[in-house]
Amino acid sequence: MHSSLDTHRRRFLLGSAALGAASALPGLGVLDAAAQAAGDYKALVCVFLYGGNDSNNTVVPIQSAEYQQYAAPRAGLAIPQGNLVPLNQGAATRFGLHPSLAPLQPVWDAGRLAVVFNVGPLMQPLTRAQYRADRAVRPSNLFSHDDQQDLWQKSSFDQDTKTGWGGRLAEQVMPLNGTAGIPTGLSLSGNDVFLTSGSGAGFALPANGTFGLQGFGNGAVEQAKYNAMQALWNNAQAGPNRLIKAAGEQMFRSATGSQTLSAVANTNNAAIQTAFTSNNANSGIAQQLQRAARIIDGRTQLGIRRQIFFVSMGGFDTHDNQVASQAGRFGELAPALKAFHDAMAALGVADAVTTFTFSDFGRTLRQNGAGTDHAWGGHHFVMGAAVRGGQTYGTFPTLTPGGPDDTDNDGRWIPTTAVDQFAATLAQWFGVAPADLARVFPNLNRFPQANLGFMA
Amino acid sequence: MGGNKSGPQCATRAGGAASAGRWLGTARRRARATIAIVALLGTGCLEVPNDPFDPFSGGSSDGSGSTASSERAQPASNVMGDLQGVDPGPMPATMPPAKATAPADAIRFQEQASFGPTDAGTAEVMQKGPELALEEQFYKPSSVYPSLQAVFNGNACGDGAGPTCNRDNYSPYLQQVRFFRNAVHGDDQLRQRVAFALGQIIVVSNNDINRGYAISLYQQSLVNHAFGNFRDLLLEVTLSPVMGQFLDMVNNRKADPARGLEPNENYARELLQLFSIGEVMLNPDGTRQLDAQGKPVPTYDQDVVEQFAKVFTGFTYPTRPGQAQRWPNPENFGGRMVASAAEHDTGPKTLLLGRVLPAGQSPDKDVADAIDNIFSHPNVGPFIGRQLIQHLVTSNPTPAYVARVAGAFDRSPQGVRGDMKAVLRAILLDPEARGDARTTADYGKLREPVLLATGVVRGLAGSTDGVYLRAQVASAGQAVFEAGSVFNFYPPDYPVPGTTDLAGPQFKILHTDTVLRRANFLNELLFNRGGNVPPVNDYPNATGTQVNLAALQSLAATPEAMVDRLNGSIMPGTLGAADRQAIVAGINAVPATDAARRARTAAYLVATSPQYNVTR
Repeated sequence: MHSSLDTHRRRFLLGSAALGAASALPGLGVLDAAAQAAGDYKALVCVFLYGGNDSNNTVVPIQSAEYQQYAAPRAGLAIPQGNLVPLNQGAATRFGLHPSLAPLQPVWDAGRLAVVFNVGPLMQPLTRAQYRADRAVRPSNLFSHDDQQDLWQKSSFDQDTKTGWGGRLAEQVMPLNGTAGIPTGLSLSGNDVFLTSGSGAGFALPANGTFGLQGFGNGAVEQAKYNAMQALWNNAQAGPNRLIKAAGEQMFRSATGSQTLSAVANTNNAAIQTAFTSNNANSGIAQQLQRAARIIDGRTQLGIRRQIFFVSMGGFDTHDNQVASQAGRFGELAPALKAFHDAMAALGVADAVTTFTFSDFGRTLRQNGAGTDHAWGGHHFVMGAAVRGGQTYGTFPTLTPGGPDDTDNDGRWIPTTAVDQFAATLAQWFGVAPADLARVFPNLNRFPQANLGFMA
Repeated sequence: MGGNKSGPQCATRAGGAASAGRWLGTARRRARATIAIVALLGTGCLEVPNDPFDPFSGGSSDGSGSTASSERAQPASNVMGDLQGVDPGPMPATMPPAKATAPADAIRFQEQASFGPTDAGTAEVMQKGPELALEEQFYKPSSVYPSLQAVFNGNACGDGAGPTCNRDNYSPYLQQVRFFRNAVHGDDQLRQRVAFALGQIIVVSNNDINRGYAISLYQQSLVNHAFGNFRDLLLEVTLSPVMGQFLDMVNNRKADPARGLEPNENYARELLQLFSIGEVMLNPDGTRQLDAQGKPVPTYDQDVVEQFAKVFTGFTYPTRPGQAQRWPNPENFGGRMVASAAEHDTGPKTLLLGRVLPAGQSPDKDVADAIDNIFSHPNVGPFIGRQLIQHLVTSNPTPAYVARVAGAFDRSPQGVRGDMKAVLRAILLDPEARGDARTTADYGKLREPVLLATGVVRGLAGSTDGVYLRAQVASAGQAVFEAGSVFNFYPPDYPVPGTTDLAGPQFKILHTDTVLRRANFLNELLFNRGGNVPPVNDYPNATGTQVNLAALQSLAATPEAMVDRLNGSIMPGTLGAADRQAIVAGINAVPATDAARRARTAAYLVATSPQYNVTR
């Protein structure tokens, strides 16, 4: 169809490549030599758990003494010891998963799932004493949903930073994608700062169904209509008003880029389908991951070598009714992650695709009778064949309200691993040389370890 | 709530349509149909409120519009009539003088103060001027949401329930449909527009409520308070069981040290962060105060949140009719939450600005004092004022504009703090809303999906029962009353893509998918449906959605005239010469003999244009 659209797409390709080159030029030399190899492909998949997942009930000490420490302040909310799903480490087994995360146990056992303890936004390594003595060392607006989501996604404390670390990472690897013409960052859940780069938001595709501009078949009349739209978008670019310019740019990018992506996003590979149906994964998060899997399956057709996906689910703000609602959320999340893992294995890219969880914050160890409140550090998962899995990383907090890891007396854990460290570990695997990490993670040098070692 | 009034008294809504000053041509015609639909849908029997702002009091003893209180399966047609709109009072004898106004400014004023310009509205504002037109809006009878029978459990739609039972009782479908019908046809355009803005600042979402009747009650309370005092609105939402359920104030209890339980902090935090003062100290012009190190100064800290959380303990659902109050009361969204002193934290509480509530106060006294404490904070004017400007006029108001609006919030000419009418006058009559600032590079706001849909239908002399627009707007990313969280569909500081210094809140929901859905909605309405979406058969008295392209078709021989007509009716002449030329070329490709297609093409190209999609 659409000779006019095709013409426009070519212009789009040129435009985005030029844009990419312009913004990524400083990073051209930063890629590891290995990353330049032919056939090379890698993808990162960020799974954001909106609302602040209670990680105290996600990864739980399973040995009796430590379990009691966890359970005592959580009467009625604690997971019964016998229901925990062991994260097997032989005789050293120390932790168990929430029972609704049971589908992830075989992934752990296969060495493809790691847990990183007590991660959160940090301006510097921080003790309880330092936290309590000096407000200046605390990230601003702790315990607030949107501010903390931003810190996880931006990995920057600069109030004027509007980009996410996914977007900045995309700029760094842009040369690898050459003239592929589709953006490195793809969201299946709308606009989020994570994928925002200097040139704007990432692409955001629907989790299911078709997409694209309708009403443009063949024929001179419709081509003229499309030409008029092109002219309007160009006029918006030329005009002075910056909101109009951005609106026109979004229409232009979407109308053109969606053509490139729609065929791939709708191609139904039976192996992917099987992975999701056999895991009974059909929730919203499963649909997002399934579409990500299809796009990964189309990587050769797209001619792309680096991709960063963003998917998300909500409902983790469990101030109330936590037992049922967290179990319900995990009951959707775990099969979806397992299905995605299986799909990647079926496509032969299990070692090329790394999936990880993020969330606003952890939640208080203390409770209100039916739920918990906003806290800070939380435990997170990293999944994929390139992960040194079957192990935990970082330091598990002392589960004592008022103890050494608490900000105060309700069990808000001061993170012992910074988001920057967690993310930089992934970025290095993705191909950014250590010397160039600061381009993506400006605060990384405040922490002793730039690589936590969980990636092969 | 105080003084439930249960004896139903029939009142007529007809008085509502007979108001002075017709701002909106099509709306006038539709008003009569509205009355007929209401009469057919339910009893048409409305009740005299005991509190002019309180929709809960218009209805029966359970506030749901019904005297039924059973847990049996409800009939699908559970609409009992309409809730009670606020009485706007009589128009003052002295009104501002009429002032002849240029068409562009008349159109622009309607973009800011209504759900989109109409030809009749433009003629009226041209004759009266913004000041008089605005003042008259304050006295239009309030639009209303349907009054539904309460459903007290989650499975009222058992055997024998109609096919729409779940939709009508557990989703906000009827409220969303009414929202769009009112937005397109209501006379009280400004009241609704302000309620829509308030509902996107002080958010509840049906996603955590799942009761249509509750959404009706909450939205009606916003409509009723739109021109009242902001302090009353804060108290109203604080005691609303709908908000109580959404942010967990309902059944929140004092600390129980023996069991290690703490009060729930959810409402306390979001009330401060989102509904009133925000996180950082503001200057009167809305800019952030900075400390000696150049860092923003927090407005409160975790300790303050915990103190407010103690204030908000001891409230449960309104007592169901015929039952005795207990702790906790079973779910009921009709009325205000009721206090139980035994569950309330009676210790002293240190709030904002050093204010200490003494120990031993009643729950209601603590809450009233806490709301006064928040309301007295100097941030409220700039924090709320700036967001209202963003919702109505422009995304990046100058500090001076914010300061003028905050000043009006702080003190009306009558010396009142928080008078919404004074705030709205300041917003809509400001030189930055009316003057040449709109030509600057950073001026304007992206049209959100709601205002795209209502703008096109109103601007093209259309009509709607709300059914089609509800679905299309939801598809484009704005399912009204179903925001993903208390943070609304978009945050006030979301950046315009590719910029670091410009806010464009609505750009949060303009992405690859939704931007195409917006265009595809217009394609479907104008081309596939030929401007006429027929009525559905599962909504009572459905009329479908129509736009009227006759005026455009009559100009089809002259494409330039078609573009000029649109540029001077649905938008205030902001399409430039190059845009006009491009659209004319698109129209000219359609054979002149096909006037209908020319009209559709003209409307589509203008309505999808970047210029139309940013109002300024």
